[in-house]
Amino acid sequence: MSADKTNGSTRRAVLKSGAALAALPLAGKVFAQPARAPTKVLDFHTYADVGKAEAEGQLVFYCHENEAGTAAIMEGFGKDFPKIKTGYVRAQTGALYNKIVSERAAGRFDVDVIQLSDLAPALDFQKKGGYEIYASPEAAAYAPEHLSDPHGAFFWTGVSFAGIAYSKAKVKPEESPKNWKDLLDPRWRNAMSCKISSSGIQFVQWYMFRKLYGADFWKEFSKQRPRAFDSRVQLFDRLAKGDDKVCAIAEYAAYVLYKEKGAEVAFVAPADGMPATPLLVGMVRRAPHPEAAKLFVDWAMSGRGQAFYQDNPNLIYGSLRKDAPPMRTGERLRDFKLLSPEDYADYMASRDQFSKEWAAMLGL
Amino acid sequence: MAKPAAHIEVENLVVRYGGATAVNGVSFRVQPGEQLTLLGPSGCGKTTTLRAIAGLERPSAGVIRIGRAPVYSAADGVDVPAEKRGLSMVFQSYAIWPHMTVFNNVAYGLRVRGAAKSEIDAKVREALALVQMAGFESRPASQLSGGQQQRVALARACVFSPQVLLFDEPLSNLDAKLRADMRIELRELQHRLGITSVYVTHDLEEALAMSDHIVVMRNGTIEQIGSPAEIYNLPRNAFVADFVGSANLIRGRLRDDLAADGLTALETSGGHIVFGMAHGRQAGSEPTFSVRTVHLRLSPAPPPAARNVWPVRVRRCVFQGDFTQAHVAWGDRELIVRGAAMAPLADGAEAFLSVDPACCVLLEDA
Amino acid sequence: MRHWRPDFSTQTLVGGAVALVAAALVLYPIYFLFQAALNIGDPEAKPPTDYGFDNFLNLGQYGEILLNTVSVSLAATVLALLFGFVTAWILSRTNVPGRHVLEQLMAVPYYVTPLLGAFAWSLLGAPESGFINQVWRALGGEDHLIDIATPWGIAWVMALFEGSVAFVMIGAVMKSMDPALEEASQIIGAGRLRTMLRITLPLVAPGVLGAAIFVFAEMLGSFSAALVLGLPNRFYVVTTAMYQLVSQYPPRIPLAAAMGVSLFAVMFAMLFVYRRIVTRRSYVTITGKAFRPRVMDVGALRFVLLAVCVLYLLLSVALPLLTLLYASVQKIAVAFPAAGNWTFDNFRTATTMNAVRSALANSLVLGLATATIGVVLMGLLAWIIYRARMPGRGVIEYIVMFPQAVPRLVFAFGMMWAWLIFPVPIYGTLWLLLIAYLTVFMPLGIRTIAGVMLQVDRTLEESAQMCGAPWAYRIGTVTMPLLAPGLLAAWLLLFIASVRELGASILLMGPYAKVITPAIVESWFASSAELTAAMALIQTLVVAVAMALFVALTRRAQLVRE
Repeated sequence: MSADKTNGSTRRAVLKSGAALAALPLAGKVFAQPARAPTKVLDFHTYADVGKAEAEGQLVFYCHENEAGTAAIMEGFGKDFPKIKTGYVRAQTGALYNKIVSERAAGRFDVDVIQLSDLAPALDFQKKGGYEIYASPEAAAYAPEHLSDPHGAFFWTGVSFAGIAYSKAKVKPEESPKNWKDLLDPRWRNAMSCKISSSGIQFVQWYMFRKLYGADFWKEFSKQRPRAFDSRVQLFDRLAKGDDKVCAIAEYAAYVLYKEKGAEVAFVAPADGMPATPLLVGMVRRAPHPEAAKLFVDWAMSGRGQAFYQDNPNLIYGSLRKDAPPMRTGERLRDFKLLSPEDYADYMASRDQFSKEWAAMLGL
Repeated sequence: MAKPAAHIEVENLVVRYGGATAVNGVSFRVQPGEQLTLLGPSGCGKTTTLRAIAGLERPSAGVIRIGRAPVYSAADGVDVPAEKRGLSMVFQSYAIWPHMTVFNNVAYGLRVRGAAKSEIDAKVREALALVQMAGFESRPASQLSGGQQQRVALARACVFSPQVLLFDEPLSNLDAKLRADMRIELRELQHRLGITSVYVTHDLEEALAMSDHIVVMRNGTIEQIGSPAEIYNLPRNAFVADFVGSANLIRGRLRDDLAADGLTALETSGGHIVFGMAHGRQAGSEPTFSVRTVHLRLSPAPPPAARNVWPVRVRRCVFQGDFTQAHVAWGDRELIVRGAAMAPLADGAEAFLSVDPACCVLLEDA
Repeated sequence: MRHWRPDFSTQTLVGGAVALVAAALVLYPIYFLFQAALNIGDPEAKPPTDYGFDNFLNLGQYGEILLNTVSVSLAATVLALLFGFVTAWILSRTNVPGRHVLEQLMAVPYYVTPLLGAFAWSLLGAPESGFINQVWRALGGEDHLIDIATPWGIAWVMALFEGSVAFVMIGAVMKSMDPALEEASQIIGAGRLRTMLRITLPLVAPGVLGAAIFVFAEMLGSFSAALVLGLPNRFYVVTTAMYQLVSQYPPRIPLAAAMGVSLFAVMFAMLFVYRRIVTRRSYVTITGKAFRPRVMDVGALRFVLLAVCVLYLLLSVALPLLTLLYASVQKIAVAFPAAGNWTFDNFRTATTMNAVRSALANSLVLGLATATIGVVLMGLLAWIIYRARMPGRGVIEYIVMFPQAVPRLVFAFGMMWAWLIFPVPIYGTLWLLLIAYLTVFMPLGIRTIAGVMLQVDRTLEESAQMCGAPWAYRIGTVTMPLLAPGLLAAWLLLFIASVRELGASILLMGPYAKVITPAIVESWFASSAELTAAMALIQTLVVAVAMALFVALTRRAQLVRE
């Protein structure tokens, strides 16, 4: 596969998804941004009133990342803006979205900014009018397909993608799975791990493989009796210790982290492609600390913030910023073959079915 | 410490516990300055009655008055809380507070009433002297012996000059010798202070020694009220006769034809004629004399008396230290004779049994 | 009795107010639990649109979960009773050396929570990476020796912890048995064994049965061990299933609520039976004399028995703590670490992680508040129920013991719902956790204080009354000082219970209301085992220090007073 073709298909796939977004009937209102000049703070631009933001003194962040990752993001922002005290709640995307929706239904508006790892709940939230429409001055650095449509609701702060990983201690290279279909080999029964149903990337994988391989793939997969976990750190922890032999949804970011720790794990990028999910950050309406929220969004979008997201060992997201440097490992997103949904309406509609099937596969 | 003592009235008191009735219509009065004792076996309701007077039990019906003022009245909906009745109480277990010194135990009641420090000091010392516990002020209460605790409890109860003192079997946890001594001390104290007291005990000797009046209770009702002598010498029914001292109960058929000199005659089933005194009581369907065991006399030779003399055979003689108890066959039954310094008779010996008719008391109609 | 003049003394007012507060705390969430379980309409709609029993009918599909719950609880109960009975027997009936020290030590497993035990045993007994299995393989064994992530593994961990509860209960039963009963048997000529079988066992049987039922009810509602060991392996019990259902997206609230109500019903029934068995003898046991049972001389066997007791303590306390320590100082925890595997990074991270620091601080503050307010609240409640003559105190007793029949998680579920819509915004704050803790710990606090209260003879208070002291004065000068040791014990219990609380906290935490135990659990699921081990050890250490401080302070205060 030539590099060009890879590039083309990646870009095309991602472009397609952006265009598909436009086709969705979205009940969003486009607020005209106040005709203000953005202020420069540190090395990026913001429409937020930094003084007011610091006076607000707090930022509440709901994030899907694992504890270390979320703490890292907060630490990064907190180092740049020490006067703003950060607080966060982390839960896997599904649970996180639950919490947000039920809180708002009960009239509680405690959160400023949310980060989700799945487009489906983000679009749902946008449809419900949950996001505050804030067009950041940093948005210019992003292709339109990596921003919400209409833009201002959320943006793609990074992409996480997953391949196959296995424990080098337990699996000989010649036995190791090379492509996704190899996971159905009975030798991996009771020795494989995956993620729980509230994970965004797990949903993407399920959806994409149904398209690629048909519904039977997952029927066979469930016969493998995989164990499901909340975080990628856990998955790799178990691989490193030999508790599992193979991980069916091994996020590249975690692989890099564990390799640096010296764990005996190997990563396989299957030829058919790797499911990828965008990580979406957006400010929430009726945020208790609106200026701090805007400041955070701008920070996250900025080169500074993006560098943080890419380089922090607990995060290692691939950045979508047009002028972003390569990832920690020296690679770029376009070096990988990534799989993303194209028809978002269909994708969103199949969420319930995914939940039911996945839960049933895991015995609940 | 002289305050005019009040008198207590209890009318038709009923106290129920769940389904059971512990006190079933009890009435009595306590005169100012006197000691009234509630006497009876366990479960007769005497402690419950006392606690009802104290305000620690809530009755179901009746009236309790202290110094004319009702502290409990079912009909009028009055129930004065215990702490406001102006009474005082000595508990069976003494209830001395282990975390305080003797001084603080005794001073408690005065402190509650907001007395001045000097007054407290003086009165506590006076009270402790009264119970012969002077010098124990700073002793932690947990280090006292049973007898000492009892005295401290007494001092505590008296120190604030209450109208009435209630005693709930205060001596039953002491050994016999101490009990006997304390009995006398309590009585003297009560006389000296002139406080009205209500005393509960199951010990007959205590009741007889200390009381002005005794209320004998059984199963929640009163069997007899009277002075110690009355209760002892003129029991109303079989229960009182046998509970207050030991008695032989002699049942018989009324023989009016033999009645003379104001005496009543009964003929027993064994054919004996027994003369006794009716004391103004009516003989019922089963006329019975109560004859105290200590009033019967056994002698080897027939005594000179004309009435109430019978030959008997001694079945068994038991030496009991202060007295000897003889079981004698009398007609178709056995009688028990107790005599101090009675020469022991051999088993099977023949003797003469006699009793003064004045000591045969006709019991009331059941 | 006509026109009864009500007695509005301080006692009645305070008593009434406290009782109302307690009733509200308990019943308010239960109402919402039932409401959610009977909701067969749109789950999002508030209030529910349609009521029915469909959710309960659907439970049939999850029969396996119900079966799992019962089987694990049974296994754990049997094991726990075994541990408890054996140790109680050894320590109260035989002349094993060091009895008094051992008796004190038997309380320690209670403080090593099942969560810590689950972590440690997971590190020890995971089929691949468990230390024990690694040692086994190094010694030449094949595959693995034990697999802790199985129902028996879960039961084992639960039983190790609950064994000390069983010990206390059965020990109390043994102490309340009059040795004269056995002596009578032996004088007649029955040998020791026969006496034990025909006299002793039948006498202790009701008490042991009572303990069994109580322990079983507790096991039904337990959460931590099943969460750590069962969840990843798709082994669900009702509590973990509920947690899973609530955390899913979309959440299946009505189903979770139906499960919760079913569990509640079963536990309620069990505790009802337990109280029937126990109340027949309860006050005899608590206020009656404590006998000193006859101690058997077992000769040389006593060292074996000593070893048995020590073994239990090792397995339930020493081994888990050491394992956690061992794991926490490695980069990737293995049984035979290479030289480069040692690190203090885990502790460094754990102590600097803002989340940990704030969670720990929150937990300590919350623990202090819960214990202090709890002691007062529950002290008053205990007084009302067991001492006062207020009408309706039987009902109050029933209500405050309710939370015992409800697994914490289930209760928190109801609370989540109940307080979410409460006009005062306490949802997601420490206040909500405080309320939750006070509610779920009511049975624990009241039982502890009542036990001591009943030992304080009623006449001590009555004599104060007869000296003229009104209610508040009596309580302050007589009751409280006498209860002081009991209140202290209750304070400590409440403090520890609230710091290590998991089931309720995990559902009710908010962004600024993080507490340490759920944070540790989250860390287990979302980061490395080694970091989690470090966090758990830090928590244990902090709690131990806080306790030691408290005990030292109050001892000094007592000395000063005397």
